[in-house]
Order: sequence, then structure tokens, then C-alpha cells
Amino acid sequence: MEIGQKDGGSNTYALEPREDKRFYPSKVKEEIKKAIDETMKDKEYNHKEAEKLSIEISNRIRDNVKNLSIDSYKIVVQTVIGEIGGQGVRIASKSLWDDKNDNWASYTFSNHSLFCTGMVFGIYYE
Amino acid sequence: MDDDYDDDDEHEFVSKKVEIIAQNAINSVVQGEQITYAKEKVNDWCRQIIEGCLKELAKLEKMFKYVVTCIIQQKNGCGLQTAATAFWKDDTDGLIGVEVETPTFSCIVTIFAISI
Repeated sequence: MEIGQKDGGSNTYALEPREDKRFYPSKVKEEIKKAIDETMKDKEYNHKEAEKLSIEISNRIRDNVKNLSIDSYKIVVQTVIGEIGGQGVRIASKSLWDDKNDNWASYTFSNHSLFCTGMVFGIYYE
Repeated sequence: MDDDYDDDDEHEFVSKKVEIIAQNAINSVVQGEQITYAKEKVNDWCRQIIEGCLKELAKLEKMFKYVVTCIIQQKNGCGLQTAATAFWKDDTDGLIGVEVETPTFSCIVTIFAISI
């Protein structure tokens, strides 16, 4: 992956992402929702399948978010799939980054048998 | 390449060191498996673990931004699976995952380090 490559070696001197190329949590959340809803619809929790699914969903979310063409962002995706059985679960995150330009989005899907949480972190990079 | 890593390079992600940071942060909260799962406390534990990680990571004074996530699940036989992918620079950025099991819950901490 060669994010750092600049075409023709020209410098953009940009210090901030352009308004239309920003990481907007609402747009990203839509993409996460699409990826998870499509994959997990009508699924029952199955331990063997969960590993494959979590990787598949992570890749799908990443590709969807890449398609938003927010070029100067690095994208980090984490997916959690868990079985529902009355147990307590807590998923939390915190970051050390530039509050102005970096952002995150998350979405949780659940049915009677499982839950699936997708988290996306966008880190501005020039 | 055992312990032979360069400590001084501020651009290098040393996964071993970061793993130890995560391990210590979890252990300081879990305290040798002495606590049992309590739903009122989980929120605080997550916060303490994550903040413990971030504080130590900041002390490394490296050229990285960090994202830390923490998952705590009560044990009752239910399965849990997590996976991560990223679109970044493979040679500078990195991630580590640490898992700690206690009799009543399991805790998974993931740290992503993104170079700047």
C-alpha cells in the first residue's frame, strides 16, 4: 500500500483535508452499516464461521470506506462478532491523535443470536 | 533478532514494547484475576485500561498516533471473534493484540499505531 506516494513529486502544501475529502462519520457509518447488514442478515452465530466472517466484514468495510475517496486518510477497521447469551460485553476505544482532522465511526448490528460491531478510525495523513 | 531492536528510532514501531504496555495496563486493573465481572464496573475498567495504555504510549515519545480498543466479555460460554484490517503504510504502521483471561471474563486489547 503506497499512500505516501505523491504523483510527480509535487508538494501540495496542504495542512488540512479539503472539505469534500474529509472523514465524515455519518457517511462512514452508512458504509459500515451496508457491509454488516448485507453480510450478517439472517445469520446465526457459528464459531467456525465467525472468524471468516469477521475478516470478510473488515475487508468489506475497508474497501467501502476507500471508495468514499477520502484519499489522505489512513483507515483502520476492527470488527467484533459475538454470540448473544445474556452475558455482559463492553467495547470501548480511545485515541491519541489530532482531534481536528482525525475521526471515527461505529455501527452495531444485532439479532436474536449474535451481535456485530464495526469500528472505523480515519487518521489524516499528508 | 531477539532483543536486538533499536530503541532510539522515533519512527519505529516496536511491537514487543507496546505489547508489554498493554499487558501491564490490563494487569494493573485485573490484579492477578482477583476481580470478578460486575457490569457497573466494566465501563471503568475499560477506561482505566485504555488510559493506562495511552499514557505509557505517549511516554515513548515516538512519531505515532495511537488508537486503543478494549473489549471485555463476561464468561458464560458464548463465543467472541474480532478481526482488524487497515489501509495504511505497512512498513511503518503496526498493530498488536493482547488477550487476558480471568475466571469470570476475558479482555482483549488492540493497539493500532499510525506513523505521522
